[in-house]
Amino acid sequence: MDGLGEATLRALYLLIEGDGALWNIIGVSFSVSGGAILISAPVAMVLAFLLAYVSFPGRRPLISTLQSLQSIPTVVVGLLVYMLLSRRGLFGDLHLLFTQTAMVIGQIVIAFLFVVPMAHGVLAAADRRAWETARTLGAAPWRAMLTVMTELRFGLLAVAIAAFARIITEVGTSIMVGGNIESFTRNIPTAIALETNKGEFAQGIALGLVLLVLALLLNVLLGQLQGKGEMR
Amino acid sequence: MNGMDVDQPILRLRDIRKTLPSGRRLLEIDELSIHAGRCLLLTGANGIGKTTLLKILSGLEPPDHALVDCDGTHLLWSVARRRFRREVIYLHQEAYLFDRSVTDNVTYGLRGLGLSRAQVAERVQRSLEWAGLSHLAARNARELSGGEQQRVALTRALVLTPQVLLLDEPFSGLDEESRSRTGFLIQRLKSERVGVVVTSHELLPMSGIADEHLELHAGRLVPPTRSVQRASTGHRPREVMAPGEVAYFDTKGGR
Repeated sequence: MDGLGEATLRALYLLIEGDGALWNIIGVSFSVSGGAILISAPVAMVLAFLLAYVSFPGRRPLISTLQSLQSIPTVVVGLLVYMLLSRRGLFGDLHLLFTQTAMVIGQIVIAFLFVVPMAHGVLAAADRRAWETARTLGAAPWRAMLTVMTELRFGLLAVAIAAFARIITEVGTSIMVGGNIESFTRNIPTAIALETNKGEFAQGIALGLVLLVLALLLNVLLGQLQGKGEMR
Repeated sequence: MNGMDVDQPILRLRDIRKTLPSGRRLLEIDELSIHAGRCLLLTGANGIGKTTLLKILSGLEPPDHALVDCDGTHLLWSVARRRFRREVIYLHQEAYLFDRSVTDNVTYGLRGLGLSRAQVAERVQRSLEWAGLSHLAARNARELSGGEQQRVALTRALVLTPQVLLLDEPFSGLDEESRSRTGFLIQRLKSERVGVVVTSHELLPMSGIADEHLELHAGRLVPPTRSVQRASTGHRPREVMAPGEVAYFDTKGGR
């Protein structure tokens, strides 16, 4: 326990003193996962809306498939993206492997597969009168869609936050397509794995604390959003 | 949809057919006409298809088949429905109000019509005064009473100056005062040449308001088994002022 206490104190010291390497890792995590969620969530929500509100052949099997893929292991996504981006892969000529862009692509896939079924659940359970009212008042389909999404903003924002929490803590894809390169593609989860292997617990604990605080903040935010959604 | 000629219907549909996914034929209506300034009351048992019929008329739900008389030609429903936009408005049994202020709700349909901000503000203000809702303009519409919500929904539709208004059970769940106000508003709509279709289980509130009464039975429109007292003023009713309403608002005031 002495070792753990001492490592925790050193971790707090590293965070407070503004250790450059540590904050660089935190910066990589937030820029990669933030970029991935900003790109994937809007597209995923539009697809979720189409699945919930438009009838077309094959809709139900598609929904079932997407629901099954929601919990796909991140290493499997990492493997697929790795194969696409590696030299002999379909997009090998782009030389994206072991870059932050590759990490963003991998996390976009994970977030997309998470958001579509979750947002579909929110949209499918919503009051259809919102859509019908917007349409009968003359709104074009795209505007009626935005109206419905605005009505459900708390639920959909909660989905986006949960997806962000999933990708910022995932290690499988980041380590496979990012390569855990110092000051470049090393993010919080890959750094924790590396530092633990090296026996450098202080930095691992410091990064773990950042994730814990983040998880706490996101949970509080989620709780507040759910509360607001229920009140209305 | 051309019309101000009293005898010409503003909307006429023929051969309306609708089958449920179960295979049951829900609607099999040969002809349905809606006239300017007249109120058509539709009655029928629960689940008989009244709401579906209104949604088909408003373009919200596709029929299996329907023809629309449009400027002297017969158009398929799927083609004609674009002309319905903002002209035929459907109001739910329980009004759905957006989670925003009363003013924003009433403004909703006016966006995209090419009106200036000043014109939109003026029309919204006039319509709120017309419905006696000015004092509630800044309130969130979801916080209002059932009767007030109903009036906001009606006002939100009327500000678009529709030719036809479809009201699904507008008296359901309202107290006596709200029913009376809703009845007066329907009379006002008629006086302003709006064609109104009302579905209602209750005949009493429609007494003196409905000009025509049809019953939906086995998918067809038939004369009712119980009839309502018709509007005594025919299809050109007097203007009626509801108690507490402050000003006459010409909903045909142009865009």
